[in-house]
Formats: sequence, C-alpha cells, structure tokens
Amino acid sequence: MRARSRAMVVAAFTSVALLATACGGGDSTEEPQASTGQGGGEITINGCTPENPLIPGGTSEVCGGNVLDAFVSKLVHYNVDTAEPEMDIAESIETEDNQNFTVTLKQGYKFHDGTEVKAKNFVDAWNFTAAAENAQAGSYFFTPIEGFDDVQCGDDGDCDANPAEADSMSGLAVVDDYTFTITTTEKVSNLPVRLGYSAFAPLPDSFFDDQEGYEAKPIGAGPFQVESISSTEMVLTKFADYSGDYPATVDKVTYRIYQDISAAYADVVAGNLDILDQVPPDNLIGDAYLSDLPDRTAQREAGSIRYITFSPADEQLADNPDLRKAISMSIDRAAIAQTVLSNSEVPATGWVSPVVDGYQPNACGEACVFDAAKAKALYEQAGGYEGTLTYTANTDGAGNQQIGEAICNQISNNLGLDCQFNGVVDFATFNNGIDSDEYTGMFRSGWQMDYPSIENFLAPIYQEGADSNWSDYASPRFNELLAQAAAADESEANSLYQQAEAELGKDFPTAPLTYRKTTVAWSDRVSNVKINPFGVPDVAGVQVTG
Amino acid sequence: MTDPAGIAVSEFGTQPAGEERSAGQDQVRSLWSDAWDSLRRNPLFWVSSALILVFLLMAAAPQLFTSADPFYGDLAVARQPPSAEHVFGTSSQGYDVYARVVYGARASIMVGLLTTVGTVVVGSVVGLVSGFYGGWLDALLSRIGEVFFAIPLLLAGILAAYLFQPGPGSGLVSQVLRVVAVLVVFGWPSLARLMRGSVLQVKPNDYVNAARALGASAPRLIVRHILPNAVAPMIVVATINLGTYIAVEATLAFLGIGLRDPAISWGNDISIASSIGLVRAAPHMLLFPSLFLSLTVLAFIMLGDAVRDAIDPKLR
Repeated sequence: MRARSRAMVVAAFTSVALLATACGGGDSTEEPQASTGQGGGEITINGCTPENPLIPGGTSEVCGGNVLDAFVSKLVHYNVDTAEPEMDIAESIETEDNQNFTVTLKQGYKFHDGTEVKAKNFVDAWNFTAAAENAQAGSYFFTPIEGFDDVQCGDDGDCDANPAEADSMSGLAVVDDYTFTITTTEKVSNLPVRLGYSAFAPLPDSFFDDQEGYEAKPIGAGPFQVESISSTEMVLTKFADYSGDYPATVDKVTYRIYQDISAAYADVVAGNLDILDQVPPDNLIGDAYLSDLPDRTAQREAGSIRYITFSPADEQLADNPDLRKAISMSIDRAAIAQTVLSNSEVPATGWVSPVVDGYQPNACGEACVFDAAKAKALYEQAGGYEGTLTYTANTDGAGNQQIGEAICNQISNNLGLDCQFNGVVDFATFNNGIDSDEYTGMFRSGWQMDYPSIENFLAPIYQEGADSNWSDYASPRFNELLAQAAAADESEANSLYQQAEAELGKDFPTAPLTYRKTTVAWSDRVSNVKINPFGVPDVAGVQVTG
Repeated sequence: MTDPAGIAVSEFGTQPAGEERSAGQDQVRSLWSDAWDSLRRNPLFWVSSALILVFLLMAAAPQLFTSADPFYGDLAVARQPPSAEHVFGTSSQGYDVYARVVYGARASIMVGLLTTVGTVVVGSVVGLVSGFYGGWLDALLSRIGEVFFAIPLLLAGILAAYLFQPGPGSGLVSQVLRVVAVLVVFGWPSLARLMRGSVLQVKPNDYVNAARALGASAPRLIVRHILPNAVAPMIVVATINLGTYIAVEATLAFLGIGLRDPAISWGNDISIASSIGLVRAAPHMLLFPSLFLSLTVLAFIMLGDAVRDAIDPKLR
C-alpha cells in the first residue's frame, strides 16, 4: 500500500513540474553558518505538503513520513547502513513462541513535552491507530495483533451504524510502566523488525487530551522536536533532553516546501538549499546532475521494486507460465535501466529487494535475463499470444509511460507480437481499473517496503487474498511456506521465505523489472549525508561544514 | 455584391445564375472572383498554401516522406543527435524523430479539418435558422449557444477528455473523432453567432424581399439568397480557427489527455520531450515536433488572414 501512496507523491511532483516554470526561491537569505566542526548549524531540506496531520499512525506517504521519522522514536531503529533493527526505546523484545512478545522499555526516555515514554503510551497509541473509527492509514499494520478484528467496524465499514465491538485490542496489555505484552493471532517471527515502522511510534498523553493541539505542534520522542509547521515550511530543532542513542548533529532543520521539484534542484545547485531528497528524473539523463553537483550526490538502493503484474483477467496469460516467462525474457532490463531510467534503477533478478536480510540473487533465474532467441523459442513453444497484448500504467507517475513504451517495444520487436502501451490518466483511475479487472495483458506494479524484511516483499503481495495481491496468486505450497516461516526462528525463517520466493520463480505470477535507487544531492555546506535503507536522507547524521 | 445583380436578372424570370454571371462578366464581377484576384496577388496566400499542401500530403501519404517505422523503438540508439541515418535524431525510446514528426501530421490535420467542417456545419445551420426565423427559435438557440460559449474551449476539452477516455488500443480515427466531437460541441457557438449576425444583415435587403414577393419558399431564400451573401465572414473565421483547433489538440495531448498510442500526436511528443533535463540532453526531440506544429498552425492562420483580406477588406 505504501508504494501506492508514494507513487502519488512522485506523480504530484511531475505534473506540477510540467505546468509550472521554475520559480526557485530567489529570496532565500541563508546566512552561511560558521564552521562548527562536529555539531550545530542549520540545514534546509526540500519537503512537500503532508497529506494528513503528522500523527504516526495516520501518515503513510513520504511527504509526512520523512518529517515524522525525524521527530519520533520507535521501539526499534533501523541501522542507517545495514537496515539491521537495533533497540531504540525498547530495552528488549522477547518471545518464546513468536506469538507472545514481552517488550521492556528503557527508562528516562522523554517526549518533547517533558513527560516520560511509558508502556501505556505505546498501547494507547496502537489501539488508537488500529481502531477503524479513527480512520488511520497505518491501521493495517496491526492486523496480526489479537483483537484487531474487534476494533473494526461492522460489515459495511460504516462506523456510525455498526460501531466496533471493542475500543482496544485484547492482544495488548500493560504490565507495568516499562513493560507491556503483545499477543498475535498467528505466529509472526519478524514482529520485532516491524516495530521500527512509524505507525508503531508512541503517542504522548497530551495527544489524547487535545488532539488538535497535537496536530498544530506534534510531539514525539525523537532527536528533533517540532518548532513550527506551516504551509511553506516545517521547522524542527534539536531536542535538548533526548536520551536515546541516535542524537541529532545539527541544531535546526527546515523542511522547505517546493511546489516544483525542478526549482528545488536549481536551488541545490545554486547553494540555496542544503539537501534534495530526490533528484528529478530528467536531470539524471546523461548524468547531467553529476556535472552540476560534483561529488555532492549519492545513490542507494531503496528497498523498492518495480515489477510487471500479469493480469489475472487475461485468459491467455492466466494458465500459461511459460508464456509469461517468455515475455519476461524478451525484456532487456539492463537497457531500460540504463537508457530510460538513466541508471537510477538496476535490473531486478528476483522478487525481493537486495537491501533486506534474506535476499538471494538470481531468484528469478533465466526468466529475468534478456535473451531474444530463447524468449522467441519459448514463446512459440508456449503457443503465442493472440491479439494485442497491452501494458497498462498510470501516466501521472514519473517515467511510467516511458518504461511502459520501452517494455512494449521490446516485446514487440523480440517476440513479433503486437504489444501496446495503455496509459491511464491518473493513479486513482488505474487502481479502480485493477480492482474491477478492467485490464487484460500486463500492468505496472511497484512495492516500497514498509519495514526491512524479506517477508514484507512476499506476504502482502503474493499470499492468497492479501490486500496487494494484484496477480490473484494463490498457491497452497507458497502459503504453507509463509506460515512455516512465520513460526520459525530468524535464520530458519529466511530460508523458508527464500523457498517461498522460489515458488514464485516456478509459477511466475509477476515479472520483476528493476530495483529502485534513490538519488540524493546536497549543497557544499553540508557533509556526511547518508541515505537510509528506505531511500530517505538520514537527517540526524548530517553535519554542517561551511 | 453579386446577388443584387442576380435578382435584377431573375426578375426577367429565366436565366440560371451561372450563365447570367458569365454573361455579365465584363460589367459585374462577383465577390468570389474579386477575392480570387486579390488572393492571387498575395504572396502570403501562396506561401501558406504551399505549406498546407505539403502537410496535407504528409497526412495522406506519410510513406512518401519516410520509409522508417515510427513505432519501431530501439533503446540501443536512444537520444542520438541528428545524423545521416536519423535526420532529426532519435527519441528517448529510440524512435526516429523524423518518422514520428511526419506521421504525426495526420492526427493534427484530421483534427483541424474535421473540427472546422463540424463547427461550420453546425454553426451555419444554427446561425441561419435563428437569424432567418427569429422569434422564440432565435431566443432558444442563442441561449443554448451562450451556455456552450461561456465554457472556455480548453477547459471543456480537458473535462471531456477526462470523462470520455478511449479504451486501450482504440485506433487513430476513433480517437480523433472523440477529440473532434468535443471541440465541435464547444466550438460551434462562435460561428453560429457570426452567421446569425450576417444573416440579420442580409435579410432586410431588397433582393431578398423581392424574391420573397415573387413567392420563393423559405428554404430557397436561405439557400439561394441569404447563405451565399452571409457566408464570407464565417469562412474567414473558420480558416483561422482551424489552426487554433490544431493547437488545442496539441495542448490536450501535452497534458496527457488528448490523442495517445497508437495515434502519434505532436503534442504528445512535445510533452515527453519538454522536461528541463531532457531539453539539455536531447533538444532535437523537442525542436522538431514543435517546429512542425508551429508551422502548421501558422500556415492555416496565414491562409485565414489572406482569405480575410481578399473577401472582406473592411476587416483588414
């Protein structure tokens, strides 16, 4: 689901970029900061307007998520370099059976309003987010917890007519101020990994007394605190009483909201903006950005995958995995990554992103390796495709049309069939079309991980009946492997998940296309800009140098 | 004006209009032969006609201009600058830009011509009827026209294009007709108004009254006496509008809601080529479709200007 909302953000950027001419902030009067070596200083980052108020459970898109991540702390913190989960607010998360978990908190961890982070702050926050009547976007993260169904509204989802049976989940219980327990309905081996997602952040008591006050000035327990939020900028300052292990280096961070990402790019080049979290795709062409910003850019694979879903509504494709493999084999992923995407993505070799633990290279095997002759032979053997094969994508997302056309051209040129790109005007229409089985042939899909786990690339997309199972994949063997993996301990779990991924290689419900990378740029005032495994610059570590 | 002379003759009752005109050629020159004379001497007319002829030929038979397949994309040759093999270079998809530009003429010309024909037919019928009959019919038609007139053409185009999207793989003609239908629905009122105005101007003339007195029926009056004398301003405006419609189609395509694959539209190609980074890396991708679009629009507007000068010197 996150991939869907993120795509929207990119879409908003590009459509604005098309219409608006560059109107970069020429009035910026940034005083160069005195060199302060290790700490201090102020930085500016480009931001965008959050969709919702900055409540952890209600924020599922990047505009709000990036800011939120800077001012909230969670039980678990993902290592900026390795994505390994590290204990943050949690002292320990223990379980015997992958179903009953005991969380112990560190003492003395403070919210920005001075109150201490206690067990009930977590339990209350999670119950709030999970309850359907609060309509929080992050609600589905709590699905595994026992009692989740009881806080959902009646059949038709109408909370006024059919209110939920309970207002809290039975699977959460406060033991004492610094201990609480989590019980899940099924075994979930990777629950501790999931707890670093921002939907699992604690909320201060003041949130439940005065939600409007919170929305005006959100409160978290992170290294930065919110100073002010307006429609043009969001200002965060270093939190003096922060006691965690990941303190901020700079004193002040300003998220400046740009309507047009091209203007933000121009500002970074001119030194009026310190960090740009995404270089616009058109500036990547011919590596123009490398000469504009010498040694001031970085790329990192971002826990995100682009893939092609074979429509379950297409009768010719539905029962013919060989035909699907032939089509996949006829696509030159390297050429697309290099030419259409200007090296901002790399060819995919499997269904799981390389940034997560448990990734195995070449899970897709030769079906993801371009070979025109082999593809053609397999295509003939599989019986071919009659009529026009379509590739559907929403054209408001950056690059979707170009990628779609390139895919179709290659399929047409290499297999000798008629492949046509079918552009859908916007994302909402595209989603509706998928839900109503409107598109035959193939359609665009993307997935941005919610938490760094191999499970997050498999269960939400390919488990029977899962929310994002657009290919309607239903394999008893695959489901069985997932269930076993969820019950197993960590190392064993990874190998079971890998076996599940291998099932995808046999049945081929989707064709992996590319792993996305994030390209970040910065001004010559700052250093130590790192990209975290989610593809977001790590704000806490940035240093001001000049 | 030709018809006063015509009426004078027809009072004697017998001669058909054609003969009468050739008989009196020395003394009475018709509006149309006057116009042709003046057009012939206008270099603007010849330049624009030549351009339009080339574009029409391009639209009718693109194979005469290029042997390349505009749909064959090869990423291996993407974004190459103009060369002997690809005179206008290649696009991001490795399409031959020259072939795309040549094949793109068809959509633009079809939209322009069909929309003009459509608005002229609807506009003149409505204008004639409301101007000639007047009364409640006039009031009704004028109000309906004002409703459509109040909605800007581009806004209407955007709305309609969103609402009525073509299905996957629908062909060029059905896509063009869709755009044309929208433009006609929202484009006819200006021509209808123009027509109504000139009908009101022509209607009280003596030759009309004379024909009526002689017992001519309403359809005969309209077709023989009023239409030929009221049509000139409309021809001028319609010709100029033709260029505008082509530009509107390109704008819709630029916004991603006009024509789409498998139709090739200049507006689409311009839209794809116009991001800043791409302009730096492959300016030819933007330059050539833009150039052809501008030339086509310019040619039709120039032709409209020339025609206007010829048949309605007052407007000059």
